Amino acid sequence: MHTPYFSRRLFLNTLGTGIALATSSRVWAQPGPAGSKAKNQGRLVVVFLRGAYDGLSAFIPYADPYYHQLRPNIAIATPDGTTNTALKLDATFGMHPAMAPLLPLWQQGCLSFIPAAGLPQPNRSHFDAQYQMEIAHAGKTNGVPGWLNKLAGTHKTTAIGVGEANPNILSGPAKVKLIPRGQAAERTGVLADPNARQALMDLYAGNDALGAAFHQGANSRMQSAQELATEKTESNKRRSMAAQQEHKDDTPMSAQAFATEMKAANNGATDPIGLQLDAHHLSTLMHNDPQLRLGFLSAGGWDTHANQGNITGTLANNLGNLARGIAQLRQEFNAPDDTIVVMSEFGRTTAENGTKGTDHGFGNAIWLIGNPINGGKWHGQWTDLTPGNLNDNRDLPVHHDYRSVLAQVLRHTFGLTDTALANLMPGAQWDKRLNNLIRSSSI
Amino acid sequence: MRPTTRPQKGHQWPGIIAIICAALASPQAQAQTPPDTSAAAIWRATSRLGYAPTPASAQAAQKSAETWGLQQIDEAHAASQTPPKISPDLAAFNAPINELARNYHAYTEERKARRQERTNSAMSSTEMAPSEPADDSFRREMLRGANTWHLTACSDPATEQPLLAKMTEFWFNHFNVSATKGNTRPFVGHYLVNAMRSNALGKFEDLVLASAHHPAMLLYLDQAQSSARGLNENYARELMELHTLGVGAGYTQTDVRELARILTGWTMRFSQGEAFYFAAKRHDTGEKQLLGQTFTNAGEAEGIAAIRMLAHHPATAQRIAKRLATTFVSDQPNPALVKKLATTFERTQGDIRAVMQTLVQSPDFWLSENTLLKTPLDFACSALAAQGGVKNERDIKQTLTFLSQAGQPLHAWATPDGYKTDAATWLAPEALTRRADHALALGSRMPEPTYLHPFLSTTSRERIEHEAPKLRSGLVLASPDFMRK
Repeated sequence: MHTPYFSRRLFLNTLGTGIALATSSRVWAQPGPAGSKAKNQGRLVVVFLRGAYDGLSAFIPYADPYYHQLRPNIAIATPDGTTNTALKLDATFGMHPAMAPLLPLWQQGCLSFIPAAGLPQPNRSHFDAQYQMEIAHAGKTNGVPGWLNKLAGTHKTTAIGVGEANPNILSGPAKVKLIPRGQAAERTGVLADPNARQALMDLYAGNDALGAAFHQGANSRMQSAQELATEKTESNKRRSMAAQQEHKDDTPMSAQAFATEMKAANNGATDPIGLQLDAHHLSTLMHNDPQLRLGFLSAGGWDTHANQGNITGTLANNLGNLARGIAQLRQEFNAPDDTIVVMSEFGRTTAENGTKGTDHGFGNAIWLIGNPINGGKWHGQWTDLTPGNLNDNRDLPVHHDYRSVLAQVLRHTFGLTDTALANLMPGAQWDKRLNNLIRSSSI
Repeated sequence: MRPTTRPQKGHQWPGIIAIICAALASPQAQAQTPPDTSAAAIWRATSRLGYAPTPASAQAAQKSAETWGLQQIDEAHAASQTPPKISPDLAAFNAPINELARNYHAYTEERKARRQERTNSAMSSTEMAPSEPADDSFRREMLRGANTWHLTACSDPATEQPLLAKMTEFWFNHFNVSATKGNTRPFVGHYLVNAMRSNALGKFEDLVLASAHHPAMLLYLDQAQSSARGLNENYARELMELHTLGVGAGYTQTDVRELARILTGWTMRFSQGEAFYFAAKRHDTGEKQLLGQTFTNAGEAEGIAAIRMLAHHPATAQRIAKRLATTFVSDQPNPALVKKLATTFERTQGDIRAVMQTLVQSPDFWLSENTLLKTPLDFACSALAAQGGVKNERDIKQTLTFLSQAGQPLHAWATPDGYKTDAATWLAPEALTRRADHALALGSRMPEPTYLHPFLSTTSRERIEHEAPKLRSGLVLASPDFMRK
């Protein structure tokens, strides 16, 4: 579906780079080429990895001897073409073998990463750093809406979050849709009973915050649960048809044989679970309702202070689940201007600690996935792990403010002007070094 | 309304209803009404200094909600000094800690042996070994005990003094450990009861020290593995950032490392049945500088001194004061109240009982504009309390599922910050409808809690009275009035 799009993009890419370099250095972005109009048709999903994931295990600077020296027990081995080593991306970086489901995206040119990005100042507190990244308003400690909420407000669109009760990034004056993790999202619950529903609606008829929230929630839930349940029925139908198709020459099957066959048709997979299911729910709802242009997912368990493992172990399992979740999301969230950002509050120490884990660091890789992304290569500045290059003698430095990365994406997907970017993320600056991040044909 | 009114039947509460109506009708009347005799004050006191009124507490608080509240503090303190009432079939999780450690060790050894046996037989056999699921019976069983006890304690005053249940939850959340981490799971309940409950209204430094010495915390934040040669700074950081000083208090990354060095050697030795063990060999004997103080080698005593110093730091007083005010008074507590609580904290060297007395005696606690929304756990415990406590296994299962789906799984908040308690976090539209699911499910098998009628607004009460009887219990629990505390 995106092949023609792809080639046009490649052609225009060269042109776009020239334009970007030719423009002057204003605080924010340069205006687009004369007569061009900023686009505002994209959709964005942010996947937040809470707990500071170890980016050096996800995107591995395998060619750097310091990497292996600093991590005698937890380094991922230099690529040798097998799945026991890093999967080679280029001469500098490899990918964790558990992330293999994402390799096709790299090869198709729609996955990229910025290896050393993060907050402008080191902040080793998970909770403070997450808060800062979620509000994108430096210097504020409370009472500020999350940036996805702000963006939903200014763009008259709706943001949807899966799993967390009410994450900071989504909180604020704009209405957002929040659904629970897992199969609970498919259930209408007590609202399915018209008598109970009416009684509850009456009970919450009051004109206060609770009343308004309940009414909004009931309508939203009935709609989303119904959509997700319908999608589930249809995907089961699709799978059984596929199974029947394969078996059409045979005699009719018993129910049990049929079930086995269905599973086989689905490559052994049962219904998706965990992050994959949540990603499927998110993309289904965003597909059905064009109003939902902003999505949020999160995953935890990244705070690997001890025994993080290497090609197998805790972190490998976590990266595998994440990769499958992202691959699922991308499969269904792939319109021309759809973009996925994967980010975390900070990186981890470049050296392993005394307990075969890593402590709180600074710079980290931000991933970007989508057709507009100039992928199949990484972007921004990278300095190897030579001692003199490290922050505080222990962490990856931050070469690119996370807001500069977001600014590139937001300019493209939501057509944000300089003023709009400055309002959304006060104090941030346009980073020209990342101007090649978005394919120019997309601009 | 007379104090002798029997609260079991709603229609015997006209006095209180009249007061509410008068208060709603006229702001002047509201100003003149002594705040601590209204139904609103009783609701506030019983829902915050516990989880929900019971027929008995609703009556007891009638004379003066403030006097009742102060009494709760003394009763909770007294109760904290007595053993918890845990039914014998659940009590394994609360065995003496060294015994629990030995039992867990025996279990892990046995599991290892079985795994080895399987590997051996798989190698000697040409067939693939059947892949058995990892046996987690011991850890699961300990957590089941903890969960059941917690839900029983928060909903039944005969099992646990309600304010003590609330304070135990508060401290558990402040010094959070999580059953999501496998090796921490079997100790979570013991930690709740013995580290948090028994110090819940005592001295703050004793809470920090109990937490620091407990295997649940030693394992959860990896302290158990840290040594002079292999430092792990996880616990040291959270000890300052979350348990004591707070993130803006001015300590540095160097302080984090120095504190981690001070604490090296704090571990356990389960194989010897020692749930806490100071491993002198692993301790960093060099000199350390923490927040400008020099620590020379003194073994375990160094860590104790450092913890005491942190517990008595003014920033800690401020942080605990703020968290208490936020939990018990308002999402945005008046800074003057926080200051007042911090002053009591400092004056009494961190006496929680005294701080709670200041809190209940402050006008802020009683001000109607200081509203609070129940968290999912508040809501779940209060719903169970309204039906007279946990009745069966189904109540427990359903409540645990509700809490997980609501995003506040019991004893399983994964990160050390603990959950927040504010409406900005928990007032999510769809989530509110899921509370209704839970309320109606519980309500379908309980008699209508008519003793709660006086606490409902007239509108809610009239609407519920119009509904079919089988829906009414659930609707009381699902009502907007029941969501507030």
